[in-house]
Amino acid sequence: MSWDLFIWFALGAVVCWAMGAFFAWKQKNPQVYFFTFLGLAIFFAFIFGMWISLERPPLRTMGETRLWYSFFLPLAGIIVYSRWRYKWILSFSTVLSLVFICVNLFKPGIHSKALMPALQSPWFAPHVIVYMFSYALLGAATLMAAYILFFKKKKDVDSEMNITDNLVYVGLTFLTFGMLFGALWAKEAWGHYWAWDPKETWAAITWLCYLLYLHFRKIQPKEWRRACWILLLAFVCLQICWWGINYLPSAQGLSIHTYNVR
Amino acid sequence: MWVKPWKTAEGFLIGGGLFVVGLALQLTMGPIDWSLFASPVNWIILGLLLAFLALMFLLRKKVYAFEWMMHGHAAVASLSWALGITLVMGLLPQTREGGVTWLSQMLTFWPFVMIWTWMMVISGLATINHLLRFKVKEIPFLLNHLGVFVAIVAATLGSADVQKLQMTVYYDSPEWRALSDDEVVVEPGIAIELHQFTVDYYEDMTPKRFASDISVYTEDGKNLRGTVEVNKPLKVNGWKIYQYGYDNARGSKSPYSVFMLVKDPWLPAVYTGIFLMLAGALCLMLFMAPKPIKKEEKL
Repeated sequence: MSWDLFIWFALGAVVCWAMGAFFAWKQKNPQVYFFTFLGLAIFFAFIFGMWISLERPPLRTMGETRLWYSFFLPLAGIIVYSRWRYKWILSFSTVLSLVFICVNLFKPGIHSKALMPALQSPWFAPHVIVYMFSYALLGAATLMAAYILFFKKKKDVDSEMNITDNLVYVGLTFLTFGMLFGALWAKEAWGHYWAWDPKETWAAITWLCYLLYLHFRKIQPKEWRRACWILLLAFVCLQICWWGINYLPSAQGLSIHTYNVR
Repeated sequence: MWVKPWKTAEGFLIGGGLFVVGLALQLTMGPIDWSLFASPVNWIILGLLLAFLALMFLLRKKVYAFEWMMHGHAAVASLSWALGITLVMGLLPQTREGGVTWLSQMLTFWPFVMIWTWMMVISGLATINHLLRFKVKEIPFLLNHLGVFVAIVAATLGSADVQKLQMTVYYDSPEWRALSDDEVVVEPGIAIELHQFTVDYYEDMTPKRFASDISVYTEDGKNLRGTVEVNKPLKVNGWKIYQYGYDNARGSKSPYSVFMLVKDPWLPAVYTGIFLMLAGALCLMLFMAPKPIKKEEKL
């Protein structure tokens, strides 16, 4: 297996996922599962082929980890769909997956890029993949909050807030996983699980924001306006944690997470 | 205000009160010196904290503030305060050296520690409250609140017992002395002998792998050989040995390899907390999310 063949596997998988997403809107469940899992099988066949030909799991380069995002997004999408039956979730996961596939197709040069020793860890992929998935879900929750606050005409928001809550619960599950995987990894790589590095401080801030949202929703379910504002604040913190930190004076020259810049 | 039942507003004032008390402590006692918390002081404080939590729980019917602290309004107030003060920490450059303002050494700033402690007390009380009225469906709540309590309390109290040493080992001369953070020579009770230090490079000459082939000898007579790499520390007698440095100018020809030795006796407790939190986070998605509204989903 080689990267030359990637486009054909990716094309086959994306077509299947798009079919699955289409049938989700039509609420035809057998077709939804059939096409989504067929797409996942095609995509995983490529990953597995790469695994054999590289004689190691394809987790080392950024391009290889993007392969896993592209695989896990529709997988997570179908898990969420199977529980909550959100019609839009598979369209959302397919588009996001497509974004990562396109990056791999149009920037193939990155595949051979060297990975510094600190990143060569079995924790690298899970840490980044669950964070990316949580960012995607929390991003969707932010869009919902903005829609409710600024665009929705009728102010009967129960069903929209219900969806938003669910997105935050699932997103926070993965955000917590990402943070704690990071802690377990940091212990192996740097000798300590939590050092209040600027990136870690902002991860804690973001996490506190979403915890605040959950607790606030429990005690003041009618105050949906304020809850939505908490979500907007939380998403700003999340963006600072993800990339804004590189521009923040407090983090200059201090963060050991600097490989994010490159 | 202050009419029962208390809501979040009272909580914001209580948090403000704690902040002011923290400021007073900062003014009178100076910044917190965490090294004073080394064993056995941290064990005593842990005992006091747990006794204090038990007492608060027992007195909940007599002291309304304790009753209030077991519930969501208190959680929202303390989370807001913790969020605010940690935001300040995230926005201002933090430094370890002395002679700077309080806010640039947030981890030794009394109000910061008071607010976080208050949040942990609330999480601990909520845990006790739910534990004593145990039902199977309360397990997710318990995992989350107990997990965060165990992880943060153990990490904080255990921090003074963490030993972090640096050991520079030259070829063919086993080393048993190491340097602590404050440049004091100590003997950690293990010796390291360097057999081979290697740097592998990518084609563009960026380093791909640093590795030291070493033998480790312990005071109690253990003798083992292994390779230490970045991300692959070696574990001996409670110490973790990390690849830390080498002679950068000479690369593979470096005459020595530098190791970091870390011992953290409270780590098992912190990891217990972390695994409880991981289980709790899974429950968050599977069991705690509100039921979807079925009737008509417009989106």
